[in-house]
Amino acid sequence: MNQRTIIVQRDVLADQKADAAVERKRLGRRGTLVINLLSSPGAGKTTLLEATARHFAGRRSMAVLVGDLETDRDAQRLAPLVPVAQLTTGGACHLELPLVQRGLKALGDPVVDFLFIENVGNLVCPASHDLGEHLRVVLISTTEGDDKPGKYPKMFRTSQAMVITKLDLLPHVPFSVDTVTEDALRIQPELKVLTNCALDGSGISRWCDFLEQQHQQRLAMYHEPAGNR
Amino acid sequence: MHERSLVQNLLRQVEQIVAAEGGGQVAEICVQAGDLSGVEPLLFQMAFADMAPAVFSSSCQLALEVVPVTAVCSQCDHRFEIVDFQFRCPVCQAGSVQVLQGDEVKLISVTINSKHSIEGVAS
Ligand SMILES: Nc1nc2c(ncn2[C@@H]2O[C@H](COP(=O)(O)OP(=O)(O)OP(=O)(O)O)[C@@H](O)[C@H]2O)c(=O)[nH]1
Ligand SMILES: [Mg+2]
Ligand SMILES: [Zn+2]
Repeated sequence: MNQRTIIVQRDVLADQKADAAVERKRLGRRGTLVINLLSSPGAGKTTLLEATARHFAGRRSMAVLVGDLETDRDAQRLAPLVPVAQLTTGGACHLELPLVQRGLKALGDPVVDFLFIENVGNLVCPASHDLGEHLRVVLISTTEGDDKPGKYPKMFRTSQAMVITKLDLLPHVPFSVDTVTEDALRIQPELKVLTNCALDGSGISRWCDFLEQQHQQRLAMYHEPAGNR
Repeated sequence: MHERSLVQNLLRQVEQIVAAEGGGQVAEICVQAGDLSGVEPLLFQMAFADMAPAVFSSSCQLALEVVPVTAVCSQCDHRFEIVDFQFRCPVCQAGSVQVLQGDEVKLISVTINSKHSIEGVAS
C-alpha cells in the first residue's frame, strides 16, 4: 500500500468565483452594472425595485431577475414596469450563478444600464455566493431590529451599500438608525448607508443617484483607453 | 443547505484530483474553514458524513480546521487578527483593510492510498 498526500490549497468555491468573474467582465464591458440585492424576507427588495423602475422609466434601462423559493409573485409585481424573469430555487436558500445565467438567457440577454438580481430573502447563505455582480446591496428594515449587522457579519462585510427601509415605521418600533449604522460600519467601514421609505418615496432619488454614480465608477475599469484595444 | 452545497463542491474537486493522480482510495481530506466563511463546522461535518461515502469509501476521513480571520491594512500594512468582526485597523484606524485568510473554505490536502506504488519506485 502506497499512501501519499497531495497539497491542494484551493478555495472550494474557486470554480464558481472564476465563472462569476467572467460574467462580471462580460456584462461590465457592455455597460451593464449588475446589482445583487439581499435582505431578510420582506425587508422591501421588490418594493424598492418597483420604485426604482418608476424613477428610471424613460431615462435608464433596467432588467430584473428575482429569486424566490416558490411562486412568481414578485415577477408579476414587476412585470408591468420592467423586463423581469422569476428564478425559483425550489427550496434552495440562495441563488447561484447558473440560475442567474438561465434567467438572463430567458430575457434574451438584454443590454441594459442596470441589471438587478433580487436574491432569496435570507441574510446568511446568499453572502457566500458571487453572482457576477459589481455591487452588493443589503437592505434592512426598521422592523427587524438594529442589532442585525453584528449577527450576520458576513452579509454586511461583503456588501458595499446598506439601505435602511420602512423609515415611516420608526415612530412605532425600537430601532435606531445610528445604532445600526455604527454596527454595520464596524464590520464594513467603507459601507455606503442610505435610507428609504416606500410610502412617500423619500430616498428614491438619492438611491438612484447613488446607482448612477456607481455605474460610472465601477464600470470605468472596463473602458479601455482609445488606441489600446 | 449551504453546507451541503459546499461539501458537494468539495467532493467534486477531490474527485478531479484523484482522477488526475491516477486513482486510488481517499483516506483523508483536510479542509480549512475561516470564521468568515459562513460555515458551521458541525453542520459541515454532518453533511460530509452523509455525502462522502456515496462518492468515496466510508473510511474517508474529514479533518476540518477552523482558522481565524486575518487582515492587512491598506494604509499602513499592519497585519492583524479580526476579533469580534471589527474591521478597522487597530494601528491607524483606517477602514480599508483586506482580508488575508478566513473568508473561505479551502481544500488543503488530499491523502490517497493506492495499491501500486507509482512509477514503480518502491517495492
Ligand atoms: N410601511 C412600509 N412598508 C413597506 C415599505 N417597503 C415595503 N413595505 C412592505 O413590506 C412588505 C414586504 O415588501 P417586499 O417588497 O415584498 O419585500 P421583499 O424583500 O421583496 O420580500 P421577499 O422577496 O419575500 O423577501 C410589503 O407588504 C410592502 O408593502 C416601507 O417603506 N414602509
Ligand atoms: Mg421580493
Ligand atoms: Zn493601518
